[in-house]
Amino acid sequence: MGAPVCLEYRIEGNDFMVAGAASNNIKNTLKMLGIPSDVCRRVAVITYEAEINLVIHGGGGILKAEITEDRVEILVEDEGPGIADIEKAMTEGYSTATEQAREMGFGAGMGLPNIKRNSDIFKIESEVGRGTTLNCTVFFNKK
Amino acid sequence: MLHSVRISREACQGCVNCIKVCPVEAIRVVDGEISIISELCIDCGECLRSCHRQALGIEEDDWNKIKESPRITLIPDPVFFSQFSHYMNPSALEDVMSSFGYDMLIDEMEEAFDLSAYACAQMISHASKSSLPFISCYCPSVLRLIQSRFPELLSRVVHVCSPLELGADLWRMRTDSSNPVTLLSPCPSKITMIKEPQGRERSPIDNAVTVRRVARSIMASNAAPSPDAQLKERSNRWLQWARRGGEVRHLQAFSDRKLTVLAVSGLRNTLDVLQELELGRLRSVDFIECRICDTGCVGGIGTADSRFLANLRIGNIKTDWNVTESDIRRVEGLYAMDFWATTKEYLPRPQLPLSDNIADAMVKLQQMKEVYSCLPHIDCGSCGRPSCQAMAEEIVRGHGSVTDCIFKLREGIATLANKIVVLSESQPQTLKRRSGSN
Repeated sequence: MGAPVCLEYRIEGNDFMVAGAASNNIKNTLKMLGIPSDVCRRVAVITYEAEINLVIHGGGGILKAEITEDRVEILVEDEGPGIADIEKAMTEGYSTATEQAREMGFGAGMGLPNIKRNSDIFKIESEVGRGTTLNCTVFFNKK
Repeated sequence: MLHSVRISREACQGCVNCIKVCPVEAIRVVDGEISIISELCIDCGECLRSCHRQALGIEEDDWNKIKESPRITLIPDPVFFSQFSHYMNPSALEDVMSSFGYDMLIDEMEEAFDLSAYACAQMISHASKSSLPFISCYCPSVLRLIQSRFPELLSRVVHVCSPLELGADLWRMRTDSSNPVTLLSPCPSKITMIKEPQGRERSPIDNAVTVRRVARSIMASNAAPSPDAQLKERSNRWLQWARRGGEVRHLQAFSDRKLTVLAVSGLRNTLDVLQELELGRLRSVDFIECRICDTGCVGGIGTADSRFLANLRIGNIKTDWNVTESDIRRVEGLYAMDFWATTKEYLPRPQLPLSDNIADAMVKLQQMKEVYSCLPHIDCGSCGRPSCQAMAEEIVRGHGSVTDCIFKLREGIATLANKIVVLSESQPQTLKRRSGSN
């Protein structure tokens, strides 16, 4: 049993030009490992949406992916404003994105729902004024 | 896989110029000469442009042999009409070509390009906002680049046959002729397009020669159009596809609303726009025209004249952008019967993982990172690979060794040399007493 492959990226808040580059990197690594393409696609969606959230809302943060032989575990942490009503944030179409973000085509309110839909295990914790943490797992063979 | 770039063994010195410019890192130096990895090559011709020793050329069919057939049917790329300073009216060139016995399928080209523009405009109007922008498939190297590097963008590439091939399809359908058809191509990419089609089983075009080959022989002949020639008045919309912006202009002519379009040319611009698209930007755009060659197809390496002059000439051709009722009726009929549609999916190019087994691939990935960390990271190309990253990958896949890197080799020699110095300085006990003041 080999050591897991750990990828970690620091995402800058409000840096729209490179937003998505880290999740792209993760996707290319998965391809190089020969991981099944549907897993790659799901991880790509989760990490992309999470990365965009870090840029738009979280003031930046950390995006980590840990790849083992049977799963990919994704950890997203920020020290941003936090989410007051998580249940509301999880509804499709609800967004607190700024005008600037909406002008760029973001803020459709689908980010968190998309992440949850593509995860086999989805955990979200948040505290207003402290930040938000996401923990998502994608298994190679769906259980 | 078939490609249209030819390497001259005698002229190639194994230098690293082409290796560094290839956008898909398809070239390596093996045994003192370059070798193009067939599975990676996209036929863009950047290697040809960068070669200082005329070691690379375009693989085209034998024009002399084609000229021997009883009937010579040609599909001229729009670029062909931009190559001459003395045939300003496209119909004049048509007349000259006829006098040589070359039958150019220009009516079919006009119709096929109209159909292609109409089909794309229709697809845009029926598309949901979230599925836009669409990407043009006209430049075969852009399609191959996307299949290779941006496979997630394949669903955005319009599934429309090349209008050059559609023209041949129209001609075959109406004349029922099985006579060979030859394409005059401005680049190696369109030559590969007909020999290894993407999106369809077979091409209706049999042969391809470069625009340069035929244009030069016409120029050399100094032929003039006959004074009493009936010069046809045509819309000439299709000729604008020879330069950047022509395709989107044509699409706009068949579109009810004002489209938001990008027209991009050149390798750097193509890579940048596709990367931006991949990162989820450009959402307000409807359609992207993309060409690998600077200035558009007039900048192809199979052309005979300056792309700057060719661009000007196309701009000076009288073009009728007013699409008439009969124009629309004509394309509507063909559109309804799906005449324009591709019959096969655009498939991504398979990327070889580091191993068939994920656990083994993970070990190899770690090894690759370790190998990479001890390389100099200057991407000099001396090892015959385009970058230190590519070298690390090849070593781990078993296609090379660390000493292929000239700096690692020198480092190895320095280490050995130091060992020799240390050994040479150590003296046996018996010699120490005799050396005097030691």
